[in-house]
Amino acid sequence: MKMFDAPIAGANYAADTRNYPWHRPPDLVNYDEGVDYLIQKMNEPQELELVYALLDIDAHISTIVSSLLMQGISRGKFSIDLAILMAGPIARYIGILADEQDIKYNMGVGDEDRVNITPTSLKMALGILDSDGEEETLEVLEEVPVMQEGGLMGAPTGDDDVAASDDEQAAMLGMVEEEVESTDEFS
Amino acid sequence: MKFQDAVKKSIKAFMNGNSPQATDEMSEGGIFHTPAYFDELEEQMLSDDGKEEIVNEDV
Repeated sequence: MKMFDAPIAGANYAADTRNYPWHRPPDLVNYDEGVDYLIQKMNEPQELELVYALLDIDAHISTIVSSLLMQGISRGKFSIDLAILMAGPIARYIGILADEQDIKYNMGVGDEDRVNITPTSLKMALGILDSDGEEETLEVLEEVPVMQEGGLMGAPTGDDDVAASDDEQAAMLGMVEEEVESTDEFS
Repeated sequence: MKFQDAVKKSIKAFMNGNSPQATDEMSEGGIFHTPAYFDELEEQMLSDDGKEEIVNEDV
């Protein structure tokens, strides 16, 4: 549930602020210094190998950039705000590195995740369906019983008519005289 | 907005030729790493590659 995703109010006042690097003032606060630091770091052989390897497996540049930035933030090198500002230059630099090595890349900032609006999807959204098959499917879906909110053992809601009728209750209590059928098969 | 989304938005803005204005105004002489700087760097790096290749062929 989203309600429990948020931190407890005032948790920052109760936590020890010296525990983690990102709790202390960042090492770099200047935009250009931060970009320089990351570019120099990327030019280290190990980092460069990692970047090329990630580009080779078709990882989006935005993903590579955010992982590099997260690394810097977690080490207390720069703040989150500065990291977001530096994302553009770093992505551009990785693009240049990829061009240099003739590696095809995807920035990952396009609208790939956008849902295309087609006539069919629009009809589905508006509830206007042409074919009978689709309508039947909808009807079947509507018949699926809804699970009670309180679970299987939960108290019945007002919508469920679970109480037996008066006659049924009387029969269960043995207050109704049963008709005795004649068992005289030979008569 | 999640961190990843903010990063994407920042990259998109930079690729469209925008640079952080407030940061630019605050720093003396403006910021150094602008989109124009990276355009020049790209030309330089890619042309350097060509020169290196020519040198290697000669060798």
